[in-house]
Amino acid sequence: MKLKIFISFIVFLLLSEICHLRSDTSLAQTFVSPGYKIDFGNFNMTGGKKTSTTYTLTDSVGQNAPGQYDNAGYTVKAGFQYIYDKNIPLSFSISDLDLNFGPLVPNIGSTVTNTLTISTPTAHGYDIMAIANHPLKTIGSNSTIPDTKCDSGTCSDSISGIWTSSSTHGFGFNANGNGTSTYFTNQTYFRQFADASINETAKIIMSENIPVENHSSTVTYKINISTIQPAGTYQNSINYIAVPKY
Amino acid sequence: MPTFNLTISPSQSEFILKPGVTLLQAYNIINNSDTSITLNSEILPWIPSGSDGSVNYNQAINNPNIEFSLANSDLKIGQPFVISANSKQQLVLKIKSNPNTGLSDNYYTFFIFQNQNTTTSKDNFTQAIGKIGSHLLLTVSDTENPKIESKIENFSISPKIKDVFWGPITFNGVVKNNSNFFFKINGKITITKNDKIIKEFELNNNNVLNHHARNITCKDQNCAINPPLWPGHYLVKVSLDPSLNAKSYDTSFYILPISPILFLLLVAGIIFGIKKFNSKPTRSSTTLP
Repeated sequence: MKLKIFISFIVFLLLSEICHLRSDTSLAQTFVSPGYKIDFGNFNMTGGKKTSTTYTLTDSVGQNAPGQYDNAGYTVKAGFQYIYDKNIPLSFSISDLDLNFGPLVPNIGSTVTNTLTISTPTAHGYDIMAIANHPLKTIGSNSTIPDTKCDSGTCSDSISGIWTSSSTHGFGFNANGNGTSTYFTNQTYFRQFADASINETAKIIMSENIPVENHSSTVTYKINISTIQPAGTYQNSINYIAVPKY
Repeated sequence: MPTFNLTISPSQSEFILKPGVTLLQAYNIINNSDTSITLNSEILPWIPSGSDGSVNYNQAINNPNIEFSLANSDLKIGQPFVISANSKQQLVLKIKSNPNTGLSDNYYTFFIFQNQNTTTSKDNFTQAIGKIGSHLLLTVSDTENPKIESKIENFSISPKIKDVFWGPITFNGVVKNNSNFFFKINGKITITKNDKIIKEFELNNNNVLNHHARNITCKDQNCAINPPLWPGHYLVKVSLDPSLNAKSYDTSFYILPISPILFLLLVAGIIFGIKKFNSKPTRSSTTLP
């Protein structure tokens, strides 16, 4: 029994010595100048982001335990890995730019849709604003389809209202999806686009206060003309502006 | 079907620069769509709008002492350029502050937008156009750490008196910036009861712009605590990093055992009612001989 304890003690001492020797030969690096001495705990050889059609690989070769570690009083940012979970840029897409209403029939609403999608993980959310260059207008004669005032007659570019009546005429839009509930109660609510031709300012139609990834909303554009609407081809353009929250 | 699908990186840049200094900031613009796109660029000043990080471009005034240009040899701001399908273009923005630039903040957005196509459609037609922007927060200062003054304002707890069950207690407030330079909120909300920390919320590092206020939000969660909570008096302390020179804000709320008391009263009432009902004397009919 005593022999066993003695052998165990010797083995323990040998292992301790080996560990001690190994720590003396760790892969560290030191830079020395007359004024400074910088000790690196490891060799960072390479790092970055590699992508293919199917995979994305981020790496920090040489870094011991890469990543961000937070605790009360300090934060350790080891290697480059901690960057990638937060440094996703601002992306904005519009699914269809050409919104063709086709022939318009009086008192029968005509609708088309497209989808706005946004990612803003780096910042603190986003605003998407919209503004039209002018109301729907004929190319030659300058006849216009007025912006809708909704069934109540009170909606504007900043106030939405229910628009379901076939006797309510005009042009308006609804947005339904992420970040739109502040602006549109449901899909029966519409409002006007802000009009740049009369110096109105772009209005927010979709907004969130948190970082998001691939949040989207469907925009429904609606035209309903009256029987006295002059014949013609009516056109305009809508500018969608996506910015992060600062 | 023509689409717009752009990425801009970085989405926001923040600089402290001395008057007379020139900076370069590279932007990667990625066309994620399957068709090439003709784009253009512009820089617009803005002022903060509301207290949740929105901006207003209409009342902002351009600072003539800060000049912007592109360092790309083949491109100027306002000059159209084409990015092929699924390709990337780097734009290098040069920011030059004149030596007589005032010591204060300046806020801009570097916009990339789609050139409007000439519509050839013969139908009733609306054309959508995309525009994407990256914010620039520029502090012009002659020191690296300009002096900051801030204040916690309009802090509220809802509700102030609450039952041990049912519904959360939410915390709202703003941090006001009383200085000429923006800063990031760095602080926490600490809730204690009998000197023991019940919950601690770390505040989001939102930017608070000069002479403006920003809503307080909590990291990775809502600033709210959910029931059940033990009855008692809870103290709430909102504190910011000492570098922000803000006094901490102290308040409190109460948790009362309203629903357990109501439940006990209800049970007692039912028992009392049953007992009373059972103790009623029953009329026995007697037959006379």
